[in-house]
Amino acid sequence: MVSCRQNNAQRIVALDERAEDLGLKPGMGIADARAMYPDLEVVEADPDRDQLLLESLADWCDRFTPLVALDGRDGLFLDISGCAHLFGGENAMLAEILRRLTHQGFDVRAALASNPGMAWAAARYAKGDCNVSPGQEETALAPMPLAALRLEEKTRVGLESVGLRHVGALIGAPRAPLARRFGRKLVTRLDQALGVVEEAITPRLPVAPLSAERQLAEPIGTREEIEQLVLILARTLRQDLERRGEGARRLLLSLFRVDGTVSRIAVGTSRPQREPLTVAKLFHERFSALEGSLDPGYGFDLVRLSVTVTAPFEVEQTDLAEGPACEKEEFSLLADRIRARLGEGAVLVPVLAESHLPERRARFVPFGKEVAGKEATGPAEKIRPIRLLEKPEPVEASAEVPEGPPLSFRWRRALYRVARAEGPERLASEWWREDEPGPTRDYFRVEDMEGRRYWLYREGLYGEKTAPRWFLHGIFP
Amino acid sequence: MARMAMAQEKLFALRREIAKIEGNLPERFAAPEAGAGSEAVLRHYGRLASGAGFSVTGAPRLDSALGGGIPRAALTEVSGRATRDSGAVCGFALALAAIVSRTGAGAQSARPILWICLGDMLSEAGFPYAPGLGSFFGLAPDKLLLARAGRLEDALWAAEEAARLGSFSATVLELRGNPAKLDLTATRRLHLRAREAAQPVLLIRHSAEPEPTAAPTRLLVSPAPSSLREALAGPLPRSIGPPAFAATLSKSRTGKDGTFVLDWNSHDFAFQERWPAGERRIVRESGREAQNPGHLAAASFNGPDSAPAARTRLALRPERRRAG
Repeated sequence: MVSCRQNNAQRIVALDERAEDLGLKPGMGIADARAMYPDLEVVEADPDRDQLLLESLADWCDRFTPLVALDGRDGLFLDISGCAHLFGGENAMLAEILRRLTHQGFDVRAALASNPGMAWAAARYAKGDCNVSPGQEETALAPMPLAALRLEEKTRVGLESVGLRHVGALIGAPRAPLARRFGRKLVTRLDQALGVVEEAITPRLPVAPLSAERQLAEPIGTREEIEQLVLILARTLRQDLERRGEGARRLLLSLFRVDGTVSRIAVGTSRPQREPLTVAKLFHERFSALEGSLDPGYGFDLVRLSVTVTAPFEVEQTDLAEGPACEKEEFSLLADRIRARLGEGAVLVPVLAESHLPERRARFVPFGKEVAGKEATGPAEKIRPIRLLEKPEPVEASAEVPEGPPLSFRWRRALYRVARAEGPERLASEWWREDEPGPTRDYFRVEDMEGRRYWLYREGLYGEKTAPRWFLHGIFP
Repeated sequence: MARMAMAQEKLFALRREIAKIEGNLPERFAAPEAGAGSEAVLRHYGRLASGAGFSVTGAPRLDSALGGGIPRAALTEVSGRATRDSGAVCGFALALAAIVSRTGAGAQSARPILWICLGDMLSEAGFPYAPGLGSFFGLAPDKLLLARAGRLEDALWAAEEAARLGSFSATVLELRGNPAKLDLTATRRLHLRAREAAQPVLLIRHSAEPEPTAAPTRLLVSPAPSSLREALAGPLPRSIGPPAFAATLSKSRTGKDGTFVLDWNSHDFAFQERWPAGERRIVRESGREAQNPGHLAAASFNGPDSAPAARTRLALRPERRRAG
């Protein structure tokens, strides 16, 4: 029943009520405790797992408010401003949170206050009522021990050594000497707990600009039900998006499972969207891709759809006859659906750049991310392969004359005998881009005996320090 | 004798029935002259089957074997024997796409091509290279969408969705080998989608064994030695001319088959057939040239000499053809 940790000696770090009743205390050596009670059950502490548990708990608390912050290793801050009325008032909300967490098997303490410092203190040290209403901070704080102020160990010990054992003693004491002796932090902590100084919590997740959610009395689990709900939520969101004149570029669907696990599913769009059917379609593809990995367990009882990234929505007047604009819309929608199903970066478009190096001349960027820059124009395009290997592959080639085209080459363990060759086309490296320019390349178009056409190059020149090497870079039709 | 005739009659009736289902008049088998069978109206699935859904490839013998050209609203299979032939196979498929996109409806508003690559084809055969695609097949960089799929199901899904959308000029699905899931049902689905949207779907299969397919057209493509580059003063020795393919028609609507050696004309976007005799001549010629020590150094291309030659060829060709 006791968890413990290696601290040069095995010591108790946490213990349950029954162990407490036996008179054991945190910090006690395990050996001592064992000597007193030989049948103790000791569990090794696992801080990483504890942290994960706390984070999953924070995820779960997302259902109450989007502003959830982690507090050290064992606490959570929930900013419920503006959310309490959804759960029937602050006290009802607190009771609901406690009830649900207790059902999940956690030993929880919670408090409600107008600032994080006070709530922290009340949750840990308040006797009786845990709801501190604004203005009552001083009376609530006064009887609490100094630990309630979130002080450093050294400061606390120092204060206690001069006889200040309760917060009440500090509140009445003159400020200046305290600050001089124990540092500004003490005063700040005191002010924070009293609500004189604002303290902000750091939410774990960025707050979505827009979100819509649906609490369900009966948990749902099937894909059809979830998709139906997504459609309903998207309809709600559309009104908000229309009011703001925006469209969604990224959407996040949070599925809160009954037992506390939260699944998040995101989809991106290449142009702002607000049409519910489109959104539902994108999630449909996402669900198809996730097939199997989304475990509904006992069902989801809260579904939230949030717009995490918005962009201005341009309303375009469409032609009665379907014009190119309409087609473009169709393409981006299809691309989005393919992306939702095959993963981000599954749809690529080529972008040309001003460069004479083949691999820099054209590259692929994810659809929707291409920058509409000026079209790279150069001199008339030379003869270029239709496929370019991602990385030039080294080949063993033999040439008849040192600077000439290869006679034969071996690529991927197959021998190709060159029947005809054209070249060389000499491409030097771009010294203005690189600190250390690469070797010069001589490109040859070659055709083998069967008629396969390849683009080979020789890197480096004869007579230099390193011997030239041959590479295969592209394939011609 | 009478029984034989009866059986013949029955056979013809059945053939007619099958042809009706497949949206093809039996008269077509004989590859009629243009306009001969155009009065016949065929319907399948409530849609009017247009007889003009073919794009002429430019090689008359191939066109007649195909029954009028490459079908625009159908699945067409282009396969190659080995992965190392990928350049020729891809090039042929893209050439077909270029032909179709230039002749079909909506040819004016040039539509993009969706190219779906399955698995490791991109690392195996390289990424499509926009400058080359532009110069060989007139495919502008903004007219290409590349999708890569890890699983065949996803690739087929993407191809079906794209075909259903019907806004692409062609959908290209590229894969390797003979996956078990790409069976008659899968190809039939693709073909139906293509037919409904009146949009071609090209299935590129590298190193594939021929197996039953629902595609009405299947071509087996392998590379062919190219002809010599034409210059003002005749063919340039030891030069590499336009892309050349050896295409074997292994399945077609007309039931004809044959092997065609085709040169791709990237200016007219059409194939030109090389007669087998001519092909032999070129091979012999190039072989002889290779033994000639006078031409040991390769002709430089795109240098001051050959670049104008490539351009002049465009203007000269029609005249010469008229003269000949």
